[in-house]
Amino acid sequence: MQKKWTGFFSVLMLFIFIVPVYAAAPLAVVETNVNKVLDVLRDPKLKAPAAKDAKTQRLRVIYKGMFNEVEFSRRTLGRNWNQFTPAQRAEFIELFEQVLEKAYLDKILSYTNEKIEYTREILHSDKQAEVQTKVVTSSQEIPIFYRLIFADGSWRVYDVVVENVSLVQNYRTQFNDILAKNNPEHLLQILRKRVKEQ
Amino acid sequence: MNISGRLSLAKYLAVAVMMTIFFVAVGVHASPPAAESSELKIVLVSSEAAKADAGKKSVLDEDYVEDDEYYDDEAAQKAKISDPIEPFNRVMYHFNDKLYFWVLKPAAQGYKFVVPEVGRVSVRNFFSNLRTPTRFVSCLLQADFNGAATEAGRFAINTIWGIGGLLDPSSGQELNLKKQDTDLGQTLGFYGVGHGFYIVWPIFGPSSPRDSADIVGDYFLYPVSYLDPFYVPWCVRAYEEVNSTSLRIGDYESLKDAAIDPYIAIRDAYAQYRANKVKQRKMKFESFWGGQTKKGNVEKQD
Repeated sequence: MQKKWTGFFSVLMLFIFIVPVYAAAPLAVVETNVNKVLDVLRDPKLKAPAAKDAKTQRLRVIYKGMFNEVEFSRRTLGRNWNQFTPAQRAEFIELFEQVLEKAYLDKILSYTNEKIEYTREILHSDKQAEVQTKVVTSSQEIPIFYRLIFADGSWRVYDVVVENVSLVQNYRTQFNDILAKNNPEHLLQILRKRVKEQ
Repeated sequence: MNISGRLSLAKYLAVAVMMTIFFVAVGVHASPPAAESSELKIVLVSSEAAKADAGKKSVLDEDYVEDDEYYDDEAAQKAKISDPIEPFNRVMYHFNDKLYFWVLKPAAQGYKFVVPEVGRVSVRNFFSNLRTPTRFVSCLLQADFNGAATEAGRFAINTIWGIGGLLDPSSGQELNLKKQDTDLGQTLGFYGVGHGFYIVWPIFGPSSPRDSADIVGDYFLYPVSYLDPFYVPWCVRAYEEVNSTSLRIGDYESLKDAAIDPYIAIRDAYAQYRANKVKQRKMKFESFWGGQTKKGNVEKQD
């Protein structure tokens, strides 16, 4: 009898070592953050239209922890990043984040009951990973892939691929087009205007 | 008795050893990032803002370097499309944009108001079922016999048990025959035909010489095209378009609103979307017929 229990506990001990290892994997990072977002969106206390600001505030905290905004901006600018001075880079990151927030906030706030499936996790290297998820609505399935990079001790998202279209690449093409004819200051000007008018 | 007891003990031991090896292997595989981050995560939660600021200062001075680690840059290069007739395309883009906001969207909204979602999904299934020949032929041309068989099976099942294609029982968990998302444009891409360049057709939207071949081929393979009299196919297509638009009102708007230059955003989205579809077809082929296969990329190609 005693031996049986020893075996049982030794297996349990094994699991104790496994769990923390698994918790930090890219998939878990995405899942916990997405769940946090869903919790905010489903919170009955925040259902009222007046609570939109409070909701936004809480979502902002979550995405700041989830995304690697520097990497996001650097990849979006690609080679052009090197033409920007550190001060311009800082301003670009700030402005780009606001542009994205304005563009996608309403879309995110409109999601409520959709089911999210985490289909798979691919480790491209020990620094790069992709987490593939699927948003299942009543009429369609939307594949959403998160690309993550391991930097400063944590996995964070630097690109989101919605239905085969990479967000970073989509903006890179647009910014490339602008920067081919203009200097970085001009692009910042466009973004400033954009943030102001929204 | 004694022997069998020993045997089962040996079995248990073997299982225990195997489990240990498995868990250790899993642990080793996942541990290099995990070892550091499990502690750091706590730090991250407690002083998130401070850490982010500290990180920014040093990171901002780092240049952008293209290297092997940026595996997605390569894909980005492939998904580019040239645009020599941009002035024409921009005019067509504005035409289609107005067509959407002035005609298609109001029609779809009215239709959505009248017909419940279940009905609209059924109508979409019905038209999708009618498009089986395009997908079947595309699969055959790509030597994807598995896919072709799936399409044939889907057509039979959905037509008979799905009430003429209104329902899609084949996609259910029991049968799990998923729609083969392919077309003739992808087939050409599969054989290495590039886009050529970007064309925005009025009504049809973003395209290229390669995908224009798809529009033509699809015309002949789509049974609706053979209806009489001549205007019926166009009315059916218009209805189909209103129906499918009613299921994705808002998608175009959000894509457009999020863009700095909507024309370029849509051009790039089109190029990326098509390039990835072709890539998925190629991966399916490779995994089915062996060769330098990247296993595991197969099941997600639908």
